Amino acid sequence: MNVCSIEWLVGLLAVSVVFFVLPGTRVRQGIFLAASVGFVATQVPDPAGWVGLTAFLAAGFFVARALQRRPGRWLLVGYLVALLAAFVVLKQYAFAKAVLPAALFAHPIAIVGLSYLLFRQIHVAVDAFQGQIGVLTPGRYLAYQLNLFGITAGPIQRYPQFCEDWDRMEPVLVDGEAILRAYRRVFLGVLKVSVFAALCLAGHERLSAALVVTGEGAIASQAKTMLWFMGAFYLYPAYIYFNFSGYCDIVIAGASLLGVRMPENFDRPFIARNMIEYWTRWHRTLGFWIRDYLFTPLYRAIASRWPERAASMAFACYFVALFLTGIWHGSTWNFVIFGLLNGLGVAAAKLWENHLIATRGRKGLKEYLADKRIRVVAVVANFHFVCLTIFFFPSDLERSILLLRRLLGLA
Amino acid sequence: MDQVRNEVEQVFRNVFGDDELVLRDAMTADDVEGWDSLTHINLIIALEKRFGIKFATAEISRMKEPGQNVGHLIASVAAKRR
Repeated sequence: MNVCSIEWLVGLLAVSVVFFVLPGTRVRQGIFLAASVGFVATQVPDPAGWVGLTAFLAAGFFVARALQRRPGRWLLVGYLVALLAAFVVLKQYAFAKAVLPAALFAHPIAIVGLSYLLFRQIHVAVDAFQGQIGVLTPGRYLAYQLNLFGITAGPIQRYPQFCEDWDRMEPVLVDGEAILRAYRRVFLGVLKVSVFAALCLAGHERLSAALVVTGEGAIASQAKTMLWFMGAFYLYPAYIYFNFSGYCDIVIAGASLLGVRMPENFDRPFIARNMIEYWTRWHRTLGFWIRDYLFTPLYRAIASRWPERAASMAFACYFVALFLTGIWHGSTWNFVIFGLLNGLGVAAAKLWENHLIATRGRKGLKEYLADKRIRVVAVVANFHFVCLTIFFFPSDLERSILLLRRLLGLA
Repeated sequence: MDQVRNEVEQVFRNVFGDDELVLRDAMTADDVEGWDSLTHINLIIALEKRFGIKFATAEISRMKEPGQNVGHLIASVAAKRR
């Protein structure tokens, strides 16, 4: 079942109508949790999936509880290492398979929402260690981790924010107009996913299928090849955007109808002037998670120990953070390229900013950023770089390379 | 509190390289030239060293959220110092 299916949408509409008529917080919490477990049940493929999910959640909960009671650094480090190792094995990463024994990957376990569970597990463990989690009970933790509005593809909500709404379980939409807006947003999300995204994907498939034909039936002219390529080049990012932002519209608006405020995940990403800004606009909750749990600790460790090297090492921290973000997206080799491009993009943006400060000073940088013509050029250039990164998002890397070779007249 | 405020102001001046910077409670990152994500971490490290305190990851990110200002930052430093 997905969030655009009739069952999911009818279920959401039916529950949202009666949810706040039901008496008492505990009844609503019970229904929310039951709905989440029910949704997860439709996603778990087999008993091995249940065992894996249970072990994953239980380990996260008990370690977080232990870290709350006694914040031991080695327990945190050991848990994070084990968690990441389990993640790499469970996700069947191609680059890990190339270097590790094959027996490690010969398992039937597929955990629903594993990629997003990982982020929430790390967040809860680190914040528990640092005394930032508050009350941690099995019920709250389970509801947070299995929240049907975030388990499969985010947005990545933080535990304290979830608990604010979970403890009250009261309406968060202030009047009839706000409720109507939420229903409209669900409808818009369905439209984005089912119509716009589907059309963009169909267009992309058609154009790229024509481009990979060689010999008889191949596109004859270079001009037409270029035109077809550009169509495929722009349509795939449009598909990803409509698909993911549409999904987010449905889950964010749907959650608000049940009194849960999920964080926004998109803020006009294609008007970003560079890749650093882009990651504060596209999949924002992932960008902020990466900033808080990857970039900040990495840069902080360097800047605390070697303050004189901090400025020059910042771009390396940006690269590492976004490279890892890229490969988190999927287990195949294309995501390594996706990660490399994103890492290079943010590192280049930081280096360019450093260059501007060195040559023009802070005041000069401010003037540069305020210049509207420069902004237009930067936005257009960054948009095309974003499209290039997403060009490597489809898992068929050979096909992506073949498309590029066709464009360059090499195939 | 006044002493904490003066010391925080001194840290700001060092981090942002502006000897004439005067802090007001209502100030936000937009009001201080060069206060971006990176200098924010530099500022936190400098405050931690100066006051012998430690900020959690969640606290660092909260400080840059809308609605947060210099007044909140000074209050956090003062609370941790106690």
